[in-house]
Amino acid sequence: MGLVTLEAPLLASTVIVPVLAAVISWLAGEKISSKSHAVLNGGSLLYSLLIFVYIAYSAGLDNIVRDPAYWTIDGLGTFAFVLDPIVFPVAISIAAVTAMVAFYSIPYMEHRYEELRHEGEEAPGWGAYFFLYTLFAASMIGSVLTSNTIEFYLFLELTLIPSFLLIAFYGYGDRVRIAILYLIWTHVGALLFLIGALSAGFKIGFDFINIYTGMPKLGIGDAGLAGDLLWATLALMVIGLLVKMAVFGVHIWLPYAHAEAPTPISALLSPNLIGIGGLMLFRIVYTLFPKSLDQVSTYLYAWAFLTMIYGGLMALVQTDFKRLLAYSSVSQMGYMLLGIASLSIYGISGALLHYLVHAFGKAILFLVAGTLIATLHGLRQIPKMGGLATKMPYTAALALVGFMHITGIPPTAGLWSEYLIVRGAVEKSFNMGALSFTLMSIALLIGIGLSTAYAFFTMKRIFYGSLPKHLDDAHEAKDSLIVPMIVLAAIGILVFFYVFTIINPMIGYLEHLG
Amino acid sequence: MHEFTIAAWLTPYIGAAIILLLYKTGDRVKGYVAVLSILIAALVSTYAALLVHEHGKPLYVAFEWVESLDVTIGAYFDSLSSLMALVVSWLSFLIAVYSLEYMGEDPGQTRYWFFFSFFVGSMMLLVLSDNLITMFIGWEGTGLASYALIGHWFTDEEERWVGDPGRKALGIQMWFEPSHSGLRALVFTRLGDVGLLVGIAVLHLILGSTGFYEILEGAKEWSSLLYMRGLLGIFLALFILGALAKSAQFPFHEWLVTAMTGPTSVSALIHAATMVKAGVYFLLRFVPIFVVAEHALEYLHLPGAGIIKDFFAYIALIGAFTAFLMATMAVVSRELKLILAFSTASQLGYMFLGTAAGALTGESLLGVIAGFSHLASHAIFKASLFLAAGAIIHAVHSRFIDDMGGLAKDMRVTFIAMTLAALSLAGLPPFMGFWSKDMVLLAGYESKASIPLLLGVVTAGLTAAYTFRMIFRVFLYKTSGDSHHEHHVHEPGKLMLVPYTLLAILSLLFGLAWPFIEEGILEWFARGTLGIEEGVVHIGIEPELAAPTLTIVFAGIFISYYVYQYRLATPMTYISRNSILNFLHKFLYDRWFINSIYYKVLVRGFRTLSVVTYKFIDRLVVDNFYHIFLPTSFMRLALDTRAKLEHWIDEGFHIYLVNGILGISGRVRRIQNGILNYYIVMLWLGLSIILIFLWLLMGWPI
Repeated sequence: MGLVTLEAPLLASTVIVPVLAAVISWLAGEKISSKSHAVLNGGSLLYSLLIFVYIAYSAGLDNIVRDPAYWTIDGLGTFAFVLDPIVFPVAISIAAVTAMVAFYSIPYMEHRYEELRHEGEEAPGWGAYFFLYTLFAASMIGSVLTSNTIEFYLFLELTLIPSFLLIAFYGYGDRVRIAILYLIWTHVGALLFLIGALSAGFKIGFDFINIYTGMPKLGIGDAGLAGDLLWATLALMVIGLLVKMAVFGVHIWLPYAHAEAPTPISALLSPNLIGIGGLMLFRIVYTLFPKSLDQVSTYLYAWAFLTMIYGGLMALVQTDFKRLLAYSSVSQMGYMLLGIASLSIYGISGALLHYLVHAFGKAILFLVAGTLIATLHGLRQIPKMGGLATKMPYTAALALVGFMHITGIPPTAGLWSEYLIVRGAVEKSFNMGALSFTLMSIALLIGIGLSTAYAFFTMKRIFYGSLPKHLDDAHEAKDSLIVPMIVLAAIGILVFFYVFTIINPMIGYLEHLG
Repeated sequence: MHEFTIAAWLTPYIGAAIILLLYKTGDRVKGYVAVLSILIAALVSTYAALLVHEHGKPLYVAFEWVESLDVTIGAYFDSLSSLMALVVSWLSFLIAVYSLEYMGEDPGQTRYWFFFSFFVGSMMLLVLSDNLITMFIGWEGTGLASYALIGHWFTDEEERWVGDPGRKALGIQMWFEPSHSGLRALVFTRLGDVGLLVGIAVLHLILGSTGFYEILEGAKEWSSLLYMRGLLGIFLALFILGALAKSAQFPFHEWLVTAMTGPTSVSALIHAATMVKAGVYFLLRFVPIFVVAEHALEYLHLPGAGIIKDFFAYIALIGAFTAFLMATMAVVSRELKLILAFSTASQLGYMFLGTAAGALTGESLLGVIAGFSHLASHAIFKASLFLAAGAIIHAVHSRFIDDMGGLAKDMRVTFIAMTLAALSLAGLPPFMGFWSKDMVLLAGYESKASIPLLLGVVTAGLTAAYTFRMIFRVFLYKTSGDSHHEHHVHEPGKLMLVPYTLLAILSLLFGLAWPFIEEGILEWFARGTLGIEEGVVHIGIEPELAAPTLTIVFAGIFISYYVYQYRLATPMTYISRNSILNFLHKFLYDRWFINSIYYKVLVRGFRTLSVVTYKFIDRLVVDNFYHIFLPTSFMRLALDTRAKLEHWIDEGFHIYLVNGILGISGRVRRIQNGILNYYIVMLWLGLSIILIFLWLLMGWPI
């Protein structure tokens, strides 16, 4: 394992190229067709994906890769772009999902514009949509490549504005209110994190990666801070990120925002954006405070179980498909937090792999929900569905693959992440005695049982049984909706087979970290 | 150089992939691809088994897959897995051939053949794995495929249901649509799988590997460490949970019963060759290792050895109880496939009983041979029974035995085949089923597990009774009001007829050959099975046990003969006149009310918990706290502060500021409803508080 400095700022280009595409889209506005917008923006995000893959293979997956250029600011440290085995699964997930959803956006948003016109509203056109969309995607990519807490915070803030506007412009229901609700909630999360980052940063600096070695500056917070300040800082950063992750107790914004966002945006928010909270919980908070985090990890561990089970319970009773998926995301964040809170090499690898699994699986599921909306005249209510597999076999098959991802059934990579997370939990509880071990087993039984139950119960309610009369004229969705989902499903399955390319370097890196 | 033997599990998977790619082509092709891919798997397995026999040692190939988790993928043929692979692949092949005709007209060909091949591939992977992870992948694959195949007719027409439409027990519906049954199968088995997954993780944590060989070699290490931590008992319980659920042992037996909604070929596949046998195979694989662990703990003078012994005793008891429980249900069932399904779970109970009781003797060999023999003999005769049942249901257009009767005349070959298989199921000499069941009971006898043994013997009588009740009612017994004469009943085509006839004959031939090959099989298992050390085991007829068992079996057959054939009686008219008998009948017919209790307690419990939590926690408390209470509190705080501060702040400035705020909220209100202004105020106040906090904490110069 070593640091590879790139010849050219390729990592920065994975952010800059999409941003340029976004700006071109904005300037072009209605002058170019919607298809050209999709090719431009989807293409720019595919470029980012290809760059990540290219870098990973040319530099070796188990190396840490850094851009040649970085920017040092007095008092704020160094802003650089770094790609290491931990970030790799997250980065490729964001790039792949956002690229595919960009193409999916065309048929979907055509339908949405139509609906809005029907309601008598004139929403901003394709230029604005793709400008905001790609800006959102690019800032997510940027946020995970960062090496400095302020740099991360800036990118995080940058994700908020476009996603807020996308909900406010194109969302469903009470969209302006929900957009503001979303803005305030995630803003509070980001601000709590910022206060923590600032209070730590002025004592120990803002860099969490040493750009000369590429390795995390492990333990600088534990060493540089003490007493109340340390705990207050830790608490602020953890809680700030947990708000972003929407774990139990601070989850209530998510079902609103993710259910009412326009569906392509839901597919970006739910798997990608919230998971970044989990990534950074490890990447920043663990790096700064490994020992202190270890001391409180048992609380996070219990909180993770609570979130997992609670989200599953809530998903079980939802009648709105998108809301169900939103609660399922809460539950999935419980899995991710479980892996991280175990602070075991395997658990953490599992959590980060689960980011990828959830990104693909939940994106497919949200796109399925969108396909139903676009094809069946805005239908979202599960009780009004049934038997759709006869009319929409491909959509049904894709939904099954999506649910297989989040329930860990092969051949999806969910199997690996689920095993690794359980492996982490076992390691943590094993050292805590028989009672803890028993409780953990029961909680896992209930949690995973609930996930399976709501996932496949939903399959049954939507796709199986007899077709209700009002759906007699249902038909398979058009290819432009189906193909992006097939690509995502195919990548998800491919990762199952090639999981070693992700897991081996990740575990090697974490072992190296100690 | 034997790398190609991974084709034993790989080709069905490749077949499945090809079928998927052929989704647009004609339907026949998909069936042929599946049959061919399974045939190749069967031939490769046969070749591998011959090699194992020739060399007298396991055949093992492995490729690295996920290095950091010590996961390899390959094929591991030892005495146990090579025989198991033979049973699975050849039976699956025959069932696939049968399906060519049976499913010929079905519109869902791509789905059927894809999941069929996927199923076989997963089962073969499970059997031939050398480590727990790839075994688990196969394990989950069978779960997925069974879910899809049980729910194959997902549009839920009434003719595909299981149970009496309209019937309720304790207020819970007792009929099941295919989509419901598929869901049940998946959820029930996944619960057990979580336990298995935890067990796998524990072994990996301790040993750094999940390879079977490493688990055997490390038996002392993991068993003593787990014992010291006080975790040995719970580990064993969790580890075996997957097998119990997969093999439908009490309390997980419910899913198997309703799995009958799938096509009958699928029932045969699930019940005879794949899926439910996975749990038994798992037990056969790990009992020798557990016995080694037990000895290791004894050697270390740790009382943990007792825990492992107790574990075997519990498994034997669960198996025996399941055998009895399911047999009592089969006695009253009215649906042909349901009788066979109850019977499957019951026979699986025997396998658990035999394997675990055998281990109680302190050596694993007897139990493994008993468990495996019964697995194999059951696979053969049960596949035959199911496939024949499929032909009958096809011919009669009804799943209820009330609508059958007197079919022997029109379906002579089917009658003979099914009777041969039934004789094996009933455990009559010289059929294969006799020998294997005898060995299971022998294991109970040798280990002096008295209660399981007693249950096992009683169940033998029940088995004979329900088996012949079925034969008499379907083929011979005839009352005047039979409905099936409206359509012409006839034998199925050759593709269907040959597989089950062949299997029925095999169950007789193996039975006849058994006394001669007995010693060879003993040696085969003793020599090359992971974890089994060569030992002296006595197998063969134990008169003290066989005599009462056979007596009770004949009694069972005789009662069925007397009631249904000699008296041509309809016991229900008699039963319904007596309230106690009537209740007993209802109790058995409604499956001891276990299903209803699950739905009342677990399903409704979780549902209620969800609804109540959603209503009162999520909506009422959490949602309102953040979105009503906090904003209004901030608002009130703002108003109060304004009132208090009024005295000492410049009034003009004050009014100016408030007007400013109200102006903003007024404008915002025009966009949307009333609650928005709370947010603006909340945002403003929240930011202020955060900044003040920051200033206090840091002395940061703002």
